[in-house]
Amino acid sequence: MVRFENVGMRYGPGPEVLRDVTFVLEASSFTFLTGPSGAGKTTLLKLMFLAEPPSRGLITLFGHDLATSRRTAFPALRRRIGVVFQDFRLLDHLSAFENVALPLRLAGRREQDYRQDVEELLTWVGLGDRMAAPPPTLSGGEQQRVAIARAVVGRPDLLIADEPTGNVDPEIGQRLIRLFSELNRLGTTVLIATHDRGLIEKSRAKEMRLVDGRLVELRAQRP
Amino acid sequence: MTARQRRQAGNIMPREKGAAPLDLVIAVMAFLAAIALGASLVANRSAEGWRAGLAGRISVQVLPPDKGPPEPALSRETAAALAILQNADGIVHAAPLSQDETLKLVEPWLGQSALVADLPLPRMIDATIMPGARVDIPALTRKLKAAAPDSMLDDHSHWIARLKGLADTVIWSAYAILALIAVATAAIVSFATRASLQAHHEIVALLHQMGARSGFIARAFDRHYLLATLGAAAAGAGLAGALFLAAGGLEYVGVQPVSFLPPLTLHAMEVPWLAAVPLGAGAIAWVTARLSVLAALREIY
Repeated sequence: MVRFENVGMRYGPGPEVLRDVTFVLEASSFTFLTGPSGAGKTTLLKLMFLAEPPSRGLITLFGHDLATSRRTAFPALRRRIGVVFQDFRLLDHLSAFENVALPLRLAGRREQDYRQDVEELLTWVGLGDRMAAPPPTLSGGEQQRVAIARAVVGRPDLLIADEPTGNVDPEIGQRLIRLFSELNRLGTTVLIATHDRGLIEKSRAKEMRLVDGRLVELRAQRP
Repeated sequence: MTARQRRQAGNIMPREKGAAPLDLVIAVMAFLAAIALGASLVANRSAEGWRAGLAGRISVQVLPPDKGPPEPALSRETAAALAILQNADGIVHAAPLSQDETLKLVEPWLGQSALVADLPLPRMIDATIMPGARVDIPALTRKLKAAAPDSMLDDHSHWIARLKGLADTVIWSAYAILALIAVATAAIVSFATRASLQAHHEIVALLHQMGARSGFIARAFDRHYLLATLGAAAAGAGLAGALFLAAGGLEYVGVQPVSFLPPLTLHAMEVPWLAAVPLGAGAIAWVTARLSVLAALREIY
């Protein structure tokens, strides 16, 4: 599903943020990415969701070698990835409903075809009565849930989440993790970057740890 | 991209705020473009009118003798010239202008004074050439000179060439102004699009990140600039059209037309041509906005 081989990344003339990162995410796997702040987690995620090209090394996504793939093929690859951004990145001029429906619009689906799915998902994440609200009127936790709903609504092949439970209370956090697990059970490959040790310990998922730009520790998925 | 997807791109961008100055600039440009286009239409029509009025006509002027009384020499030479013209191949009609008609011709320059009537004015003969016929002007001139030494033949070719040159200058100047306005409009829209992209950079980056095709994002911008430009340019061109039509009514409010200048008004049939201005401006804005967005998106990974 995702393969990194000796990937290095630096921004401009600065130091390498990622060094010789090599790993494989198997299809339908569930993985936590951990590490201290500034270790390069967000940069690694950016490479994975095609926001930046690596400075060196090879990245293979859904069987496509990104170095040799045509740029015109990238939009289709990106539509197979759901991303929960740490800063949510919701569109303030659209309602919560429209924000969640955005990936489906971009995929060319009609509103009458997806309206029910979006409403059910928003209700499931506890925002059934806030569908028409624009993001600036929502709390941080509510915005995070809208961002998560947007990432999962299209049932992506790969779900990447950067601190997805950072702004919600533990109960909602567990509910969101169950949502990710359910999606994973249906075949989505999930990668979650988090500092929440409690979340990781309760899970049997694989853990990858980044320290100073190097992938130093791997915990295999427990049975 | 289907019509449905085009509609879906509709509200993906927030409404542009503070776009009024751009609309105003586009409206002013469209107004100037419509004035230039209208001027070219007036010049073209006038040139055609002058050409139609003068082509196929020749004039013979018989001058009074330098010394002695004008008569009877003037009448004798006029009769001789008239006889030659009436018998010449290719000329269907030839008639001398009356004294009153001759006075009317010089009236714009000499006025209506009774003194003018006493001046030794030349006699004019107006002749019409048969449509499609070719008259040997040099041979006719020689014959006229032999019979009436004080006669001068004018086939108006010199005037037609000069008037055509004048009209062509006006028309090509108008086209040059239109081209300059088109370039300026493209530059303004390109600048505005870039500024808008900058202002909405986060939205564009997010849509790009979520897998929106470049065409989908570009459509959100080109649609906006197409509609905004169509509206503003229609207002500017509409005002110019109204002015051209109003110019036709100036004489009713006491403004006298200048006799040797064409009327600076458009006919009702010509006014629809001014619709080309908003349509052209809209097309320029659409293409410019689209190319600007696509170029900017190519710079994103």
